[in-house]
Amino acid sequence: MNTGFDDSREIGGRDPLDARLTPPPSEPTPSDTWLRRVLRRLRMSAAFGLAPVLAPALVFVPLGALFGPQGLNLLSTRVLQHLDPVISLSLATLGVFVGLALGRRPSWNPRLFVAASIESGVTILVVSSALVFLVRAWDMPLAMPLAALALILGVSASASSATHDATPGSPDALAARIADLDDVLPIVVGALAIAAVGRPGLTSILWPAIATLGVGLAAGVIGWLLIERAHSDAERGIFVVGALALVAGGSAYLSLSPLLAGLAAGMFWNWSPGRCDTIVREDLGKFQHPVVVLMLLSAGALLEYSVMALWLFAPFVVFRLAGKLTGGWLASKLTPTLASADLSSHLLAPGLLGIAFALNAYQYLHSAEGIAALTAVVVGTLASEGVAFAVAPGEADA
Amino acid sequence: MLRLAALLLLLGTAYVITSVGGNDTHSALLAFGFALIAAALAGDLFERIRLPRITGYLLFGMICGPDVLALISTPMARELRLVNGLAIALIAFIAGLELNYRRLRPRLASLLRLGSVLLAVMYLLLFAAAWAAWPWLPFLPDVDGLTRVVLAALLATLVVSFSPTVTIAVIADVRARGPYSETVLALVVLADLALIVMFTLSMQFVRWALGEVPAGDVSLLVRLSWEIAGSLAFGAVLGALFAFYLQHVGREVTLALLALCVVLSEVGRVLHFEPLLAALAAGLVVENIAPPRGDALKDAVERGALPVLVVFFAAAGASLHLEALRTIGLLALAVAAVRLVTIRIGNLAGTRLAGIGMDPQIASLAWMGLVSQAGVTLGLTIIVRSEFPGWGERVGTLMVALIALHEFIGPILFKNALARTGEIGKMGE
Repeated sequence: MNTGFDDSREIGGRDPLDARLTPPPSEPTPSDTWLRRVLRRLRMSAAFGLAPVLAPALVFVPLGALFGPQGLNLLSTRVLQHLDPVISLSLATLGVFVGLALGRRPSWNPRLFVAASIESGVTILVVSSALVFLVRAWDMPLAMPLAALALILGVSASASSATHDATPGSPDALAARIADLDDVLPIVVGALAIAAVGRPGLTSILWPAIATLGVGLAAGVIGWLLIERAHSDAERGIFVVGALALVAGGSAYLSLSPLLAGLAAGMFWNWSPGRCDTIVREDLGKFQHPVVVLMLLSAGALLEYSVMALWLFAPFVVFRLAGKLTGGWLASKLTPTLASADLSSHLLAPGLLGIAFALNAYQYLHSAEGIAALTAVVVGTLASEGVAFAVAPGEADA
Repeated sequence: MLRLAALLLLLGTAYVITSVGGNDTHSALLAFGFALIAAALAGDLFERIRLPRITGYLLFGMICGPDVLALISTPMARELRLVNGLAIALIAFIAGLELNYRRLRPRLASLLRLGSVLLAVMYLLLFAAAWAAWPWLPFLPDVDGLTRVVLAALLATLVVSFSPTVTIAVIADVRARGPYSETVLALVVLADLALIVMFTLSMQFVRWALGEVPAGDVSLLVRLSWEIAGSLAFGAVLGALFAFYLQHVGREVTLALLALCVVLSEVGRVLHFEPLLAALAAGLVVENIAPPRGDALKDAVERGALPVLVVFFAAAGASLHLEALRTIGLLALAVAAVRLVTIRIGNLAGTRLAGIGMDPQIASLAWMGLVSQAGVTLGLTIIVRSEFPGWGERVGTLMVALIALHEFIGPILFKNALARTGEIGKMGE
């Protein structure tokens, strides 16, 4: 089975123990067992285009659903409660990588950033407005503010993944870069949406957002002071994991967004002097894979199918597609080298951040709406992956 | 200087976040991050003054814990303890991976001789001391005859016990490898296995002597058999499954290992298995029946487990009951001194009888690796405390104070011995 995600930014490289214990998947060894040979053959098939290249969500979310309370109950409700810190940790990890992906000053292109923000902003707007309109039209009873629910779904819809390795400077590389940068605005809007739930007034919404940035920056400074000056690899690993736990733990303790705190820390490491960004990227890459896989398994296990989830799911998929196409078209006006169709097709694959947003909202909204929103986003993300697989350019084109 | 700045900023950040007040159910990760960085810095400071890092982790936990500075509050310390189950399973699994039968075989007979003599001597001496001093001990000073004998035997069993957790943690921390570390680890594991059996027998005798169960009631013995044999079988089966997974699938090994440790600690607990024994058996099976390529798994797991070890010992430090030391400190010091003397005498006697096959230096330094006490002792103490409220609680206070003392002294002595045998830093070579 080729999951095709070994080098994805969102899920990291190979599992660190896999990498130490077994050769890379492309290198057969005489000691291979029958099961490994079968798995390897499937990977080879995928490499030749004979088997589908699966997105990580398509593999691990159904596995989570199978192991979850609605399935085999191996990931029982109690186990899922214990996994809650891991979800915060994976959210912070994803936030850090979004921050690191912004790039250092010489490669910083404000035009691309604006194009990416327009694209994601339009998607948020299209999906949120459509949901506000539809939920009102359907007269759906809600125990939370409709605007907050619509914004959470809109933010979850706006994420795109960029996994193609393209020639630097090519239109594909530009499209992938836009998909990298379009996560920043949703993270900020998502943090504000989470802060808005249960907090009346603009000031009471802004303070938590500022506190989140403060937690991220403080952890960033602590990490920067320690990471580059570690005496050994082991100590460096401890400091990297510790700084990340501080980012995730501080924001989770204050019921804030680990994604935004992680983004702040990642941006600080990116723009601070020294090699902190490179070291964090390398060390966190080893740690990232298992925690993100656990996040996906948890998302799958938390799914609860309800009428509300079904009603939210369909508009989520349809209006996400509409938002991405419109947003891609608008963004292409700012990037003349890109045709709007090319850009939109690269932005259709949702990746994992949408699921991360929904999980973050669910952590603080243990209500029927929270679980319905999570289910709609997770299932909608899987469906959108299917759409992207059908529409997106193949490896040969990329 | 920069490390100091980082530490001050960390303390300031933790103080501000906790004083703002937040959701205690989400405090585990904050406590984990704070404890991980600060304890690692404390461990580094201790290493500079040639003391074990583990002592630094413990001291940091104690100072920042609820009893002193309260930077790690009581709810945070409780949340941190959630790591314990996973950490104990991981540590025991690593211990199992360290015990390679082929490497141990040449000195197995002498090791068993050394272990049995040492254990017998320690047990008899501590039993005699406890029996003689019983009227002055704050438990049930008025009892006499058979009751006094069985109570003294139970106390001796608790005081003799060792700590596989600290032993493997020190080995992993200083990256030691060699015959001395293997011998000490094997001794500690085998001795604790024997002590668990002796403890259960002692408990049964105490119950009979105190009239709490009728003579002939063997429920505790049945429970013991289930706990020991069941734990070993459960761990062995899971170890074999993990080895199969490693050999035939070999993907997402970190998650598979985490799942193994969770199953060993949580499912094992539900089935009344001892997680330490089960995880040890799992590690033994993986290492001796289906070892993965060389020491790759062992090295990778030991490296990956380091953050868990740091937090485990910081949490242990934060959970140390300092009031126990205050109330019963002098008695605990006296008992610790007697225990140390019995370990040395037992080691001397065992060394003479160990004979050919055991390096004299290794045999003579073995005692330095046997001083630590932690999880196993605490586990046995909790059983006594819960089954015999009153005098059992006073025994518990003494044992907790002893654990606190031995957790600090043990790693220092063991690291010193590892340095003398030249095994520090040999892991992965």
